[in-house]
Amino acid sequence: MSAPSRSRYRVVVVGAGVIGLYTAHHLAAAGAGPILVVDRGFLSSGASGRNGGGVRQQWETRATVRLARESVAAYRRFGRDFGYNLWFRQGGYLFLAENDRELARLRAVHDLVRSEGLPSEILDPARVAGLVPGIAAGAAVGGTYLASDGVLYPFPAIWGLYEDVRARGVEVALGLEVLGVDARDGRVAAVRTSRGRIETEIVVNAAGGWSADLAQRAGLPSPNTATRHEILATEPMKPFLDPMVVRVSDGLYFSQTMRGEIVGGVTGTNGTGVEGGMPTSPRFLLGMARALVRLVPRLAPLGVLRAWSGFYDDTPDGFPVIGEDPRRPGFVHANGFGGHGFMLAPAASRRVARAAMGETVDLDPATFSPARFLSSERPPSVERLQLG
Amino acid sequence: MAGAPARRFEFEGRARESSGAVPLAASLSSDRVPVLQRSIRYHRPRAPFCGIGYCTGCLVRVNGAPNVRACRYVPAAGDRVRTENAWPSPRFDVMGALDFLFPGGVDTLRGFRRPAALTGAYQRVVRRLAGYGAPPTPEGARVPPPPPIAREVDVGIVGGGPSGTAAAAKLRAAGRNVLVIDRSADPPAGAPDVPRLRGTVTFLPPRSAPGDPFVLLGFSEPDQGIRVTAAQVVVAPGGYDGSLLFEGNDRPGILTADGAFALARGPDHPPFRRAIVVGGGPRAAAVLRAFGHRVEAVVAPLAIVPEVVRIASELEVPLYPRTLVERATGRARVRRLRLRSRGKGTRFDLACDAVVLAHRRLPSTQLFFQAGARVEWRAGAGAYFPVLTTDGATTVAGLYAAGSAAGAVEGDAAASGERAAEGLLRAAGPATAEAASTPDRSELEGYYRELLAGRPGGRWIACACEDVLLDEIEAANRAGYRGIEVIKRYTGVGTGLCQGRYCLPDALLVLALLEGRTPAEVGYITQRPPAVPTPLGALAAIGTAPPETGGP
Repeated sequence: MSAPSRSRYRVVVVGAGVIGLYTAHHLAAAGAGPILVVDRGFLSSGASGRNGGGVRQQWETRATVRLARESVAAYRRFGRDFGYNLWFRQGGYLFLAENDRELARLRAVHDLVRSEGLPSEILDPARVAGLVPGIAAGAAVGGTYLASDGVLYPFPAIWGLYEDVRARGVEVALGLEVLGVDARDGRVAAVRTSRGRIETEIVVNAAGGWSADLAQRAGLPSPNTATRHEILATEPMKPFLDPMVVRVSDGLYFSQTMRGEIVGGVTGTNGTGVEGGMPTSPRFLLGMARALVRLVPRLAPLGVLRAWSGFYDDTPDGFPVIGEDPRRPGFVHANGFGGHGFMLAPAASRRVARAAMGETVDLDPATFSPARFLSSERPPSVERLQLG
Repeated sequence: MAGAPARRFEFEGRARESSGAVPLAASLSSDRVPVLQRSIRYHRPRAPFCGIGYCTGCLVRVNGAPNVRACRYVPAAGDRVRTENAWPSPRFDVMGALDFLFPGGVDTLRGFRRPAALTGAYQRVVRRLAGYGAPPTPEGARVPPPPPIAREVDVGIVGGGPSGTAAAAKLRAAGRNVLVIDRSADPPAGAPDVPRLRGTVTFLPPRSAPGDPFVLLGFSEPDQGIRVTAAQVVVAPGGYDGSLLFEGNDRPGILTADGAFALARGPDHPPFRRAIVVGGGPRAAAVLRAFGHRVEAVVAPLAIVPEVVRIASELEVPLYPRTLVERATGRARVRRLRLRSRGKGTRFDLACDAVVLAHRRLPSTQLFFQAGARVEWRAGAGAYFPVLTTDGATTVAGLYAAGSAAGAVEGDAAASGERAAEGLLRAAGPATAEAASTPDRSELEGYYRELLAGRPGGRWIACACEDVLLDEIEAANRAGYRGIEVIKRYTGVGTGLCQGRYCLPDALLVLALLEGRTPAEVGYITQRPPAVPTPLGALAAIGTAPPETGGP
């Protein structure tokens, strides 16, 4: 793969996933100077190439709703801006409640989402059945639905961003691993890589599941945890299901792609740490099949085509980490998206780029700044809707 | 199955009858392959190709369940079978116009972006074109799914061919409790009597701890789950006939040797009258032995072995060694093959009504990969094989390999099964050898180098399941994308129903040429579980505890 042409860059972005590439795009557009994006794997080898493509604006906190709404607008423009068709199909997100307690929780989400000007709806079981053909009787007491949420193809987003940043002069070095980050006078001075030392003033940690590992290599302990999550795709069939369906109780989620496959998983981890690789477990494959067939019995004859797994980068409070690390000026976090990096990438990475350039960012530092984990105070809020 | 009772079923609304346990596709073949499908993007006519339940050429709807493989499905009395994804029929499909309207292909990566106001309309149209069958109806699902078959044995043996059967017999003689799991209902003629289970193992995960048993998961067609626990496993699933790249290589009538055998109702009824056999090795010889009287010519991409020369001369079938297959033409089915002598470059045409691909046998290595066994590239065969000790031990303790998937050549299969059994009894292994990928080029790479130099455009179908054109792979390479993993994601090659079996081996060779690297450097063909699409209902029935959930 292409090796870096220079020994010195203004910014080194670690991670060529959607967050890293989008950040590089914003940095290059702002004229940040020579930029290098590095990734230890191939393009789309991490979570950006392994997620189910869901993009939703229904969240439990105002801060996340706003980032998500801005991201939806950006994805609608993506084809014009980046030349690739994401097939962003706004078929809605349907959250299912199995009991009144869950429905009350969804109602609170609904109220918040509506107060942000998004026309979320509360659905009764009859309307739920209309959106999920063949759903088992009594499977839900109701749900919430937002029609402008949707599903996209993650891969073309990566291709579009990759080609955009390269056209803007950004270098992308794949198959290159960062081994350490050197400091001088307390500031970031260089990255040590599997292909030598590269001087830089700014390092953006957009390493997804490997972000805590990278922070550690920079001598900056991180509270982030990589958790392994699994997903499967069935054989394709003609259009059957419009929305992404998410069950609140266990985090079962599934949608139908443009190609006709049912793609889904069960939120909930199957292990922590990146060391174990990305296997598929029988527990997931069998449990997911059972959950799907119980909810929509007529799917039983449909074949599972493939299953795979990837890493979420989780934080203790469910919010991503965006901003410069107070312990090491020049080290900028863009991680901890908890499996929702694709959903928030356009809006979040715009702010990452601003933070990297030392500009002020319109994000509540108590919620998003890496500093929040350095004090002993309780976080002001927690985003718990980490589903689908 | 002479004398078996006739089964009456309905096909496209008309009454049909099949005698005994004949798969649907065979019962619909009468001296030619039936056109049963249309392709996903261009609605090109498609017919049974692989004959072993992997490709998309024979998907039909049975009693409300879509995507049933007609080459595997044995109709039951009263079944209602119809074709899908075509109107009014797969032979004359109005959407087939797409193939003529978009000669340069349909660009789903960059196309359909403008005007923005039409986004929703584009999506509705493209969604309707995608997919194969309509969603299952309630009558298509057995609710609840049938209870699974659960067994516990000393040694699970995947594959009941000569090597698997030989391993089973030897292990049984040594007092081991064995079970052979094989897709076919009947053991090979004259095979030793060993316990057998009809089914397909599709998932063999690594053991949770070294002392734990292996768990073999799969299904018995059509939808019964299988769960076998075994202290040791011998994997002997055999192989399959590979595909070949040329213009029009997806024409109905072009099928693998596996397909020809599967669709034949006895030696006098292969699905053709005058076939061209592609290949010059043992597999081509087997096709000639079975159907020689209906073979028009033998065309070999590489050299021709003496055995093929002998059979062909007895049958007076002309031989064309070291010949490039450039193009197949024909309307509904293949009618003519354009060929070019290698080196000299002389072009000539041969008429035919079928092309039988018997040039390349590929190993089924999915289960080795799933179990965590190391694999290595063998340039001579142009394929990945498990890394093995001489007695068939893989790099995973307790996991052994036998038969052609272990690299055994024809005639040596039973012996390789016995070696694996002896290795297992001695607790030989695991293999520690580093994967030593051979640096030499495979001969087929040279074939493709010659074929693709100055290649004209046209429909070279690099991936038939997803209708990916060779042009698209070349365009991805020109755009700077490298490696099989990225090309797969960029073009969609290998992401269809056959799970990459028929497209990725050739894509790997072509990419090696385009990238100027060896196939092993271009990458491993990752095969995600399950090894064969496995019905949700079968898996659901096996399911013990649901996955642990985080959630709110």
